[in-house]
Amino acid sequence: MRALANFYREREPAILGGGFILSLILAWQSVPSLVSLPQGISLFFTTPVEVIKAFHQLVVQNQIQSHFYVSAVEFIVGLALAILVGLPLGLVMGRSKILDAMLDPFVTAFNATPRLIFLPLLILWFGIGIWSKITIVFVGAVFPLLINTYEGVKNVDRVLVNVVRSFGANEWQTMKTVVLPNSVPYIVVGLRLAIGRALLGVVVGEFFAASRGLGYMIANAATNYKVDVVFVGVTIFMGLSLILTYFVKKLESRLSRWRPETAKNF
Amino acid sequence: MALRDRYYEHQRPILGTVSVIGFFLLWEWLLTSVVTVDPFFLTQPSKVAAAAKELFLGGAIWQDLAVSSKAFLWGFSAAVIVGIPTGVFMGWRRRAEYTLDPFFTALYASPLVALAPLLIIIFGVGLTGKVVLVFLLAVFPFIFNAFAGVKSTDRLLVNVVRSFGGKEKDIYWKVILPSILPYMVAGARIAIGRGIVGIIVGEFYAASEGIGFAISRFGDTYRLPEMFAAILVLMILAVVFTEGLRKLENVLAPWKIGQEAR
Repeated sequence: MRALANFYREREPAILGGGFILSLILAWQSVPSLVSLPQGISLFFTTPVEVIKAFHQLVVQNQIQSHFYVSAVEFIVGLALAILVGLPLGLVMGRSKILDAMLDPFVTAFNATPRLIFLPLLILWFGIGIWSKITIVFVGAVFPLLINTYEGVKNVDRVLVNVVRSFGANEWQTMKTVVLPNSVPYIVVGLRLAIGRALLGVVVGEFFAASRGLGYMIANAATNYKVDVVFVGVTIFMGLSLILTYFVKKLESRLSRWRPETAKNF
Repeated sequence: MALRDRYYEHQRPILGTVSVIGFFLLWEWLLTSVVTVDPFFLTQPSKVAAAAKELFLGGAIWQDLAVSSKAFLWGFSAAVIVGIPTGVFMGWRRRAEYTLDPFFTALYASPLVALAPLLIIIFGVGLTGKVVLVFLLAVFPFIFNAFAGVKSTDRLLVNVVRSFGGKEKDIYWKVILPSILPYMVAGARIAIGRGIVGIIVGEFYAASEGIGFAISRFGDTYRLPEMFAAILVLMILAVVFTEGLRKLENVLAPWKIGQEAR
């Protein structure tokens, strides 16, 4: 009994947290056997076991794989473009006062607005192929990256910049040796936010203008009242964002481990 | 010389204004006298301004804004009413934190917008579906910011209230509530953005009125000036609200607080 109590006390957070999620799933599963659902509701109802069955079936039919492939391409290409544009622009804006002042109104306005409102326009411009989704992912992900890179550059230790300057470093060398390494933790935070926005772009973009992809799968299943397939899609998106966020958070804590104290206490 | 000093003093706002005005002028000039672009593909600022005037004077946009704001306000208020107590409870009770935190974190990190088609099919294309969507998206910033606010409450203040015979109720009202206030503003700023996403997606997906519906309908019918005008209105609203709250945040708590948006 003591051993059991000790076991519980040591792992209380995990047991309570995991137990809660498990019991929610169990409760969900047991709803149909406890109460008889009226016709109108049972149409929209599914159970976790049904969802797993639907998932299995979709995998066997090779459907998930093809939808997943399309969504993954949109996500990766859009995010890569966002990094390619957001990072250099953030660095330059952080270093140049004039460019900063000139671009700031645009960055602020676009960052405050959910970029999804541009979706109809992007569909008009790029059609319903893969490029409208890539651009919506791009405009979603580029601003968090740009702004966090900018913040990182702005928070660079002035002393370090002055030191390399005094030793005759030019702008490019200052950037390479001091500014960029110092902004890396900020950039990683930006990356974490950007991943969330990019996934949002993939999901919503595929809702409205696509014939393939996981978002399309969800929207299509919903119109056909295949609620279990909807939950398969939602679960995949949840799993993906949890996994990606987990890895970026790991990277974040790894990178920020060496930072503050060593920088301040020398 | 004096002019030069004045310029350096206000360099930022001057350059910002110049670049915004310059951007619109360049856009107008390029499309009128340099290149001719298919009007179904791109429009120009003067036409957008004319369309905006028409939308506002004709009253069409007010109707759409009213419909969208109604759904937004219901969902947002529900998020405040549910989110703040939940977050405070999680922050104050250790076991509640252990129990609820993994579940809520998973929901907060995942794109809940993916549920939109299902919600709209269940609740219909009217108000309810959008309200539920806005609530689902906006509640987590409130929960996690209230949680972080309680966690950062000064233990000393709590002990003082206790020592002077204060009850649990006094701790909540006199210590916790004031100290989570700035966090709530930060939460509201993030929640507004997510709430607008909910409205937009709900109305793109299935609606017969509302600002999101207006944007997608103008897009479908190739009425680009009207579409740009509606987008611009939404952008201005978003900037006013988020930047206003950011200012309020800086007033209430000049140090950086709160959880960033995910």
